[in-house]
Amino acid sequence: IPKPPLSCSPSPMRGPLLAAAGGAMGGAGGPLARTIRAKLTAALQPTHLEVRDDSPRHGGPPGAETHFGVLVVSGRFAGLPLLQRHRLVHEALRAELAGPLHALQVIARTPQQWQSDPHAPPPPPCLGGSKREQRRR
Amino acid sequence: MRAAVRTGWRIGAAAAALRSRAGRPLSQAAGEGGGAEGGGGSGSREAVERLVREHPVVVFMKGSPEQPLCGFSNAVVQILRLHGVEDYRAHDVLQDPDLRQGIKNYSNWPTIPQVYLNGEFVGGCDILLQMHQNGDLVEELKKLGIRSALLDADKDQEKK
Repeated sequence: IPKPPLSCSPSPMRGPLLAAAGGAMGGAGGPLARTIRAKLTAALQPTHLEVRDDSPRHGGPPGAETHFGVLVVSGRFAGLPLLQRHRLVHEALRAELAGPLHALQVIARTPQQWQSDPHAPPPPPCLGGSKREQRRR
Repeated sequence: MRAAVRTGWRIGAAAAALRSRAGRPLSQAAGEGGGAEGGGGSGSREAVERLVREHPVVVFMKGSPEQPLCGFSNAVVQILRLHGVEDYRAHDVLQDPDLRQGIKNYSNWPTIPQVYLNGEFVGGCDILLQMHQNGDLVEELKKLGIRSALLDADKDQEKK
């Protein structure tokens, strides 16, 4: 069961927001978004979690669910360098990354870091790469 | 595809250290993925190992530094450019499906772009951006004998 979020302020992440930890009403976002949220919650017990579907910004049709950004705030990251934090996130989403999840932006912070800087940089703009690929990933 | 746009900075001792380095980088976790393994294929561990050790700064990306084909790959190129790093090895994985899978197996990392400094996997676009923002990238480049252009930019500011 996820702990209650430390911060209830509106999310600074741009783009359509699907849920925040503890406040998820269910039904928000497509099935992959829900899966991502559930798996990250189970694996990392985040105090704050945002899952953003960026697929429309990469030329996908609505509901494509191929490009996601996640903001994970968790005490599990304490003492870990960025590389290890991202690997924990990837591990939780291993099946999805081997399947439909084409791109994943990750911001991984400890609760302390998030409190001192509750802002996330916006994702870089799409340059159409996925349309020019000859094979998936 | 190589992006050998030369600038004036010298690699110096870093290159010699790279060639004589005996230890393996920590990021070389046991890769379980199938495909592109064995033989002398462009995605084999041996082939990838050669590529990542070719130069102090090696990037696997979509497109080229002159024409990135992905926003995340472009972000890596732009960050390196900000630091004045224009001479590095860039490999376009869209041109080589075996390399594209092989590099993911090698680093046990699921996405492109991938950045290697001194043969060691550093991360993707998100990590490079954070390293740029918190000053770590300037330090890592310094260890490679590369002086970040941002240090000189700061100096110019102070003079004004």
